[in-house]
Amino acid sequence: MIDKILSYITDKRHLNIYFTLLGVLIFGIIPLFTDVESSYFIYFLFLTFINIVIAQGWNLVAGYAGQISLGQNAFFGLGAYTTALIWLHDITKTGYYFDPVVMVLSGLVPVVLAIIIGIPLLSRLRGDYFAFGTLGVGQIIIVVFLKARHITGGADGLHIPSTVYESMMPYYYTGLLLVLFAIAMVYFITRSRIGLALRAIREDEMSAASHGVFILKYKVFAFAGGAFLAGIGGSLYAYYLFHINPDSVLNMNWLFYPILMCVLGGTGTIMGPVIGALFMTALFSFGDIYFAQTHPIISGVLIILVMKFMPNGIIGLKDKIFSRG
Amino acid sequence: MANQLLEVNGIDVSYGDVQALWDVSIKVEEGTIVALVGANGAGKTTLLKTISGLNYAKKGEIIFSGEPLKNLKPQNIVDRGIMHVPEGRRLFANLTVLENLRLGAYIPRARGSFAESLERAFTLFPVLQNRKSQKAGSLSGGEQQMLAIARALMSKPKLLMLDEPSLGLSPIFVRTIFELIGTLNEQKATILLVEQNINQALRIAHQAYVLKTGKIVMSGAGSELLENEEVRQAYIGERVRKRQR
Amino acid sequence: MSFKLIVQILVNGVLFGTTYGIAAIGLSLIFGTMRIIFLAQGAFIIFFAYISYWLLTLLGIDPYLSLVIVIPASLLLGSAFYYGVFKEAAAIEDKNISLLLAVGLMYLVENVMLVAWSPDPRSVVTPYTNLVFRPLGIVVPFTRLTALFIAVLAAVGVFIFLKKTLIGTAVRAASEDMVSTTLMGINPNWVNAVAFAIGIGLAGVAGVTLATIYPFDPSYGFIFAIKALIALALGGIGNVYGALLGGIILGLIESLGSFYIGGGWADAISYGVFLLVLIFRPQGLFGGSIKKA
Repeated sequence: MIDKILSYITDKRHLNIYFTLLGVLIFGIIPLFTDVESSYFIYFLFLTFINIVIAQGWNLVAGYAGQISLGQNAFFGLGAYTTALIWLHDITKTGYYFDPVVMVLSGLVPVVLAIIIGIPLLSRLRGDYFAFGTLGVGQIIIVVFLKARHITGGADGLHIPSTVYESMMPYYYTGLLLVLFAIAMVYFITRSRIGLALRAIREDEMSAASHGVFILKYKVFAFAGGAFLAGIGGSLYAYYLFHINPDSVLNMNWLFYPILMCVLGGTGTIMGPVIGALFMTALFSFGDIYFAQTHPIISGVLIILVMKFMPNGIIGLKDKIFSRG
Repeated sequence: MANQLLEVNGIDVSYGDVQALWDVSIKVEEGTIVALVGANGAGKTTLLKTISGLNYAKKGEIIFSGEPLKNLKPQNIVDRGIMHVPEGRRLFANLTVLENLRLGAYIPRARGSFAESLERAFTLFPVLQNRKSQKAGSLSGGEQQMLAIARALMSKPKLLMLDEPSLGLSPIFVRTIFELIGTLNEQKATILLVEQNINQALRIAHQAYVLKTGKIVMSGAGSELLENEEVRQAYIGERVRKRQR
Repeated sequence: MSFKLIVQILVNGVLFGTTYGIAAIGLSLIFGTMRIIFLAQGAFIIFFAYISYWLLTLLGIDPYLSLVIVIPASLLLGSAFYYGVFKEAAAIEDKNISLLLAVGLMYLVENVMLVAWSPDPRSVVTPYTNLVFRPLGIVVPFTRLTALFIAVLAAVGVFIFLKKTLIGTAVRAASEDMVSTTLMGINPNWVNAVAFAIGIGLAGVAGVTLATIYPFDPSYGFIFAIKALIALALGGIGNVYGALLGGIILGLIESLGSFYIGGGWADAISYGVFLLVLIFRPQGLFGGSIKKA
């Protein structure tokens, strides 16, 4: 019995769990040591949390299903708008924010879209073509949201009354919770039969198909999972931003950042997007303070450099350095 | 004593983590036909691809005309004088016969003699002249094989490597192809031949190697191996008749 | 609903569509050899539009004349970018890496332009900017007509290059089967670089003609890239004239959509058509299946 526990603890594969738990612990107690309301660090961490969630979203699709999604911004925006709309029309009648029901719903609406477009796109398109399909869908969503003025407020968008804002604390902890959820989701999917199927599909699709793996089901699942994470990320962001419009929640940055973070940290790994998110958010925060407008340029250069020299991201770098162990 | 044109010594080749060739060594003398035979997946195509630079050899060496060749880029190897006609021919289906031939003579040293090489190709393969403006994809299987070989000859190679030239061809064409190989050899071509059709291959080969799961298990003159019991049983499928009691 | 109006709408569509068409030809070439859709092309088109603008504003060089500078410059730039950025990635099986490189490049170029030249729209204004012909009462702006001619010229030029030159034949061969092409002794990097250079060269042409027609700003690059992509999807990959036609069809769709449904919806219609083509006819309206021999 003790044997079993010991071997479980020392199993290297559980490193991920340890890091996550450790991270949650550390980040969980940080607010106790700072003045949450005025701390830039807390704000930075909050942004990082959202970024981790959306990065894991892209990670699920790209790293585990092997498809590049260029439409994550649509899912993110959908999540944000869903939250704003539910709040404004008081649909769930809860009054307080961070209603988990609202957040889950904000995650599910993108899932519905993901399934609707995922089935035709994923069943017929590969690689580039699929990516462009998602791009097309994303662009259509933007136009729709701009045009459906009576529901979405058009270019001006929706305003949630900011009087409900009391403290940064719930934002911080909800964010941390979402991070935990996102990491857990990726972790358990990877370990599950779904993860196995996805890996088989990624390695050799034809062979997987001939072994009876129902390819479409798994790809759509991963795609929907990615949409869900993007959606709840959008939801949290909506709660923070109070003013949702296409420019703030549907713009290209939300398309690009998840990709950048995963690419930086390592796509197809559990911790990669976390590291990538930390790194990118730090870089941008730093850049925002000192080099206001140039951080998009830096991110472009970064992607190019990373793709050229370490296409496996920071995590891949560790492998390269410590390889042949 | 004829020259050693190609010498492959102890090469190891892997596809990722899977090793495909183990310590493979073969020799090809100038002006001869050398056959590589063996079952599917034995590594014959892998060996050709290693020689032509499409595969990476971890260990060993490849010497061609006295110069080391291993792991050079494919286009440089073509320049040295080796032409590889891959399995399945891989013609440019959307390009015309003439365009395919033109590309065969792409390397600088062959460009000057394009007209002359074209003449020769049409003499050897009159059917290609008839179809010279047709798209390669519209040719029959046998004609495509001829085009593939003609294309390879356009660069005036020192060594011609053919991977399964008889694959998918009707018996008449199979015979034609082998006759062709013989003719080319009479015209001083050196040919390294990979074949499933062991009978025919061993018949025309001066020297032959048998590959099995990535290793050379037998070698000798073509005619010798043709008579060899093991070879006959394993590959030609003839059983040794037991004497009637 | 007069006949004249319909013709006008169609004419508008055709005239503008050719610009999409040239961009699509460039994309087609790059895809043929490197098997990636070079999303950054739109950003380059806008970049060259800016070059044209600055050549006019600072040096007084007429945009059409500037083509003499822009075309060689873009060809060089194209080769430089291939060798500098894409060379290693082109050899890797995983095309996602090249795709992401293109995305990164797009982001980079667009934002550099944003910072350097501000998001204010620019217009290239020349004495003939407002020159308009009116054959049979149909409004045909001079600049758009010229854009059409230049586009067709460029397309013909590319076609001749591909069909009649040895290098062009090599590019066509490489688009079909890169491995086989290397076995002919042809350096794959060289072929890729040529295709890439021409792709960027066409971006240069598109950029200059675009500058004469429309006001532009850095964010237009992304939109244009998608439009070029839609044009390519419509026309089918591997077909020079198909790509040009695809562009024209897109132009027509936009023109008609813009008129009947108005403003922003025209864009959505274009994307919708894009998705439909991708799903139901990925080889495009004119592309055929490629036979293997």
